[in-house]
Amino acid sequence: MKKNKSDSIEKMIPANMAQMEHWELNRRSFLRTALLAGAASQIAWFTSCSTQLEVRNEFLTAEQSTILKSVLMIIFPDDGNGPSADDLNSFGYILWSLGNEYDPTQDKEFIINGLDWTNEFAIENFNDNYYDLSESDKANVIASIQEEKWGKNWMSVMVTLVLESLVLDPIYGGNKDEKGWEWLEHEAGSPRPTEGTRLESFVAKHKPFAI
Amino acid sequence: MKYDVCVIGSGAGAGPVILELSKAGYKVLVLEKGPWIKTEDFTKDEMTVTRKDAYEPRAFEEPQVVEKPTDDGFKAQSSADTGYNFQNGSCVGGSSNFMSAYFHRLKPMDFQLATQYAPITGSNVVDWPVTYQEFEPFYAKVEQVVGVSGKVMPHKHLEPRSTDDFPFPPLASNIVAEWVKKAGKEIGFTIVPAARGIISTPFNNRKACYHSNYCGSYGCSSDAKGSSRAALIPMAIDSGNCEVLDNAKVHAFDTNEKGEITKAHYYNSTGVSISVEAKIFVVACQAIETARLLLMSKTDQFPNGIANNAGQVGKNMVFAGGGGGSGYFRYDELDANDAKELALKNTFVNQCCKDFYEIEDPEFGPCKNSPTGKVKGGTIDFLVEHSNPMPKVMRNKTESGKLLYGSPLKDKLLDYFTKQKRIRFEVFNDWSTNDDCFVSLDESTLDKWGDPVAKVRIGYLDYDLEIGNYLADRAMEVLAQMGAKNLSKSITGSPPTNLIAGGCRFGNDPKTSVLNKNCQAHEVKNLYVTDGSFMPTGGSAPHTFMIYANSFRVAEHIKNHLKSIS
Repeated sequence: MKKNKSDSIEKMIPANMAQMEHWELNRRSFLRTALLAGAASQIAWFTSCSTQLEVRNEFLTAEQSTILKSVLMIIFPDDGNGPSADDLNSFGYILWSLGNEYDPTQDKEFIINGLDWTNEFAIENFNDNYYDLSESDKANVIASIQEEKWGKNWMSVMVTLVLESLVLDPIYGGNKDEKGWEWLEHEAGSPRPTEGTRLESFVAKHKPFAI
Repeated sequence: MKYDVCVIGSGAGAGPVILELSKAGYKVLVLEKGPWIKTEDFTKDEMTVTRKDAYEPRAFEEPQVVEKPTDDGFKAQSSADTGYNFQNGSCVGGSSNFMSAYFHRLKPMDFQLATQYAPITGSNVVDWPVTYQEFEPFYAKVEQVVGVSGKVMPHKHLEPRSTDDFPFPPLASNIVAEWVKKAGKEIGFTIVPAARGIISTPFNNRKACYHSNYCGSYGCSSDAKGSSRAALIPMAIDSGNCEVLDNAKVHAFDTNEKGEITKAHYYNSTGVSISVEAKIFVVACQAIETARLLLMSKTDQFPNGIANNAGQVGKNMVFAGGGGGSGYFRYDELDANDAKELALKNTFVNQCCKDFYEIEDPEFGPCKNSPTGKVKGGTIDFLVEHSNPMPKVMRNKTESGKLLYGSPLKDKLLDYFTKQKRIRFEVFNDWSTNDDCFVSLDESTLDKWGDPVAKVRIGYLDYDLEIGNYLADRAMEVLAQMGAKNLSKSITGSPPTNLIAGGCRFGNDPKTSVLNKNCQAHEVKNLYVTDGSFMPTGGSAPHTFMIYANSFRVAEHIKNHLKSIS
């Protein structure tokens, strides 16, 4: 079920300028939908072991999405101490990050590649897809990949993303209902970003140089 | 149209010139590389401000190459690869929008380091061609016009003042301010209020500070912070004589046979190069980019760059020496009232110690080697960790060098945010100018317009680290006396990326300086440089106050210059 990247990129690029606006509208519409975690229609994908996979999206295959959600919960679990990654909507925040045009493409590719490499590591060392492993084996995979150079760097990036989803403004999809701020007793600075001043709007308004 | 004055840049070095010449009736054109971000567009959004650094140029579009010292010599790396650069606020008002605004005046001794103190091996320290007394009226002017709050208190290195006190009362502070004062007194240190370039009462259509607690790195949403954009440029525009073009990146000058600048060329927002004429040109792009612009502008009269026939442009860069440190208070180890007060959100402490601006300690190595037993020291500022949470969570991302995740990460975060508070100090001492600290062009690395970028070599002297460590140790004595735990310090040769000066040093000798004492280029009579580039040494304080004062001073000379040619 691996997503063929060149195919998917080709599908993402509009064929001509006339399609650009329509493509942009669709894209924004998707992002809004993606951030409404749980509201999107669920497409059931099942593996050979009957693990139900997450819904695929513009950036991630069903398998990648499933691995990502699991990794996020290992990084920020539901342990009775404050919000979990699910509570924070860390997954939605990472989708925002993957769609954020301000970040270099290679950073986003690294996030996605890491999901595939994690699965490859699971297959090589545990003889099964990551998402079909037991919870303890999944934790073992995550601990073990950090012995690899890529895994150490990738996990560091993933933890940073979760921390961003913990304390950055909810307007970017994480810190859902300000649960991160509430847990850490943090008082947000004022003024907070609005739709008119958030990163994308700021860049569109103030960064005209695109030579 | 030929303007009287074309000012390149709009930050602290440009603002006073823009204001004073506009008010005097001269037609002023301001060419600012960045956008004009209005007050209402500034937010406390960490994503925009610090995670994506949206107020700075993007590194892959406008890289700088930084040459860091290593065991194998200097290693050059592009900021496009590392993210490490010296770009700061690229917008109208420049980095003055994003300063923390600690406004310490330099002291008389700062202008005469070469004659007052023993030579430092490897340094190029020289005296300034202007004394503190000549700057004093302009410091006083900045305090009134830009707006400085604080309280003058006597201490042994208090500089002479023409006014009794600051025009704005001190800002409200956290209880830590009282603890610092008490601890200082107990160990024999004089702790005095730190002046801030932030107004505490409304002034000139600017609102008072509302203590957002997101100050340094953030734009001010009440215009209380004395940025050039908020404090000076509006008045210049009101004069009817000032035109500001944003997204106008100057990339070259033309000169005539007399060696005077005739035109400045800038790229507009679509990348088209446009030229403008003026009688006088003022460059204030922040020191590194100023040196780069002059070096890039090669003409028949100046084959090595404007005003660089003596080869001095870019030499003797100055950063801020020193560093910082911290200690922690746990709420459960304090009495209930103290804990409650400490937990309040106001992060301003605004207390400092200047007892060691000159160090006279027979046990301290550099003092032992000084014929007078004295060496130049610096300033210690005390502060509470900033409110913005990302640096705090990142601080807790690892333990003993190992990545944390899962419940151990959550436990650590909760403890850090809710059970304790980190009290910080910063020390500022001189960055000794030296032959391995300079700006040149990297002809093989181009920006998005196709122009060569600045290459910055950041060599430092170990001597400066000794001074910084001495000051940090004194700061830690205060924290220890306060009862703070887990004390630590970090004094390195890696310069702060926002405190940049030098590169077009002013002086009386055209062979060893770029500018004369009025910040007019020795070699180009209608060129002035008014950002921090002129500074031969940096003093032991953030540079912005000095830059503002000097720019007001130079504005007077430019007025006289214009009178003489009109």
